[in-house]
Amino acid sequence: MASFKYALRDTARLIFRHWGLSVLTLITAASVLYILGFTALFSLNVRHVVSRIEGGLVVQVYMKKDEKPGVVLEAVKENPTVRSVRAISPEEALDRLRAKLGNQARAVTLIGENPLPWSVEIQVHRVEHITPLVRDLVVFPAVEEVIYSGRLVERLSAISRASSTVSGGILIMAVVISAMVIFNTIRIAIYSRKEEIEVMLLIGATRTYISLPFVFQGMFLGAGGALLAAAGLWGTYSSAVNAVRSALAFLDIIEGGHILYRFFLLLFATGATMGWMCSWLAVNRFTSRAMRPR
Amino acid sequence: MDIRLAGVTKVFEPDIVALEDVYLSIDQGEFVYLVGTTGSGKTTLLRLISREYLPTRGQITVGDVNLRKIGRNRLSFYRRDVGVVFQDYKLLPNLTVFENVAFVLEAMGIPSRIVQNRANEVIDQVGLWRRRFLKPPQLSGGEQQRVAIARAMANSPSVFLADEPTGNLDVRTSEEIMRLLLSINAAGTTVLVATHDQYLVDAYRQRLVELHNGRLKRDEKRGRYFFDGEL
Repeated sequence: MASFKYALRDTARLIFRHWGLSVLTLITAASVLYILGFTALFSLNVRHVVSRIEGGLVVQVYMKKDEKPGVVLEAVKENPTVRSVRAISPEEALDRLRAKLGNQARAVTLIGENPLPWSVEIQVHRVEHITPLVRDLVVFPAVEEVIYSGRLVERLSAISRASSTVSGGILIMAVVISAMVIFNTIRIAIYSRKEEIEVMLLIGATRTYISLPFVFQGMFLGAGGALLAAAGLWGTYSSAVNAVRSALAFLDIIEGGHILYRFFLLLFATGATMGWMCSWLAVNRFTSRAMRPR
Repeated sequence: MDIRLAGVTKVFEPDIVALEDVYLSIDQGEFVYLVGTTGSGKTTLLRLISREYLPTRGQITVGDVNLRKIGRNRLSFYRRDVGVVFQDYKLLPNLTVFENVAFVLEAMGIPSRIVQNRANEVIDQVGLWRRRFLKPPQLSGGEQQRVAIARAMANSPSVFLADEPTGNLDVRTSEEIMRLLLSINAAGTTVLVATHDQYLVDAYRQRLVELHNGRLKRDEKRGRYFFDGEL
């Protein structure tokens, strides 16, 4: 308990001794984590939109006249990429047509015999599963035509992949930059107390005891930066949500709720963990060298 | 704790032999002067015992601790039992006398109330009660030396190492320091003092170990500074 109290007191001392550097580190960590959070939120939203569109995407397979859909149903039943499959009879198709035509539904009766073929509606798990599935279906002799939103599908897949790659790259860069900034700040703090630490080691202070204030300092800077970034993101994202809602009301983006809270919690944990790891590395390296007998 | 050195040699890069084949045995509660010219290996010997250095050859055991085999974690606990007064004091200039002493105890995780009592007690013992809130640069050389002694004795070590504790001090202050060291020894602590101070060695005669060019030249029960040929 005494050690813990000492560590907390010493952490405050360390932060205020180099307050300019602490503020600079805090701002840098906050900026980098803000960029990281912003990219991650963008990527999450792209995924969210894509998954919503994916949910509504249907591949329609039209059979040749007088052909039953059994062979197609049999083939897609085994396919793990297929989420749901449903056969539509000519009668059901006609009912749908009538419903769609509304007031002009009587025109359908003029046709006489039902000209509509059997068809199959297929939904897949992911956008990128559609193209290979269509390629498999068009080869059936009983299949007349396969209709799907080909270009939209391909574009959505490309956007989803690109946003994941970009956010992954930014994530790595942001983590490396913040880690380096925190690591160097802690190193400067350690070197400013080099003499003190060496005396502490000589009189029998444990490495944990010596490390604690620096580790706390790193955690404070990392977590503090994450908090600032979260506050900034909250403001920016709320404005963005309002703007999207008024300009592109059909676009279904993530709003409030559990996902955002969890996201900010994750950002905070990332900042704190990064601060902890960097400072532990810096101080551990120094004490290991200092304790090595000559 | 007793101290045993068996065939200890210390060579610094590239090939400076600081100590060569030293055998020395110091029993618990003994007071030993370590004398010799500059560069004779006195400081190296003390630093080997405090395990700042590792011998190139040979074994050092303090109590039941083999210093070659001691791990990093155990080293911290070993050092708590060895009080060291450094030649350059190694006081922290931005801390007060009280804080310099208290910080040793705090580093051991001792509760703050006990730290306060013990720090005040040792500061009083070394005669710096009135100066406890001053910082080292505001103190004289002798006073700084006493702070260093207070810090080394704060956690009641079993072994006390002092490197030139009276260097650059006047005779009167040196005698005060000497009496302090003797009182620490009287409490059962093994004391090893590296010194050049001929006056003190002859005035307060104790076991004397002389080093010359890294070799053990003389080991007398109640020796005088200069060898008088009566071994």
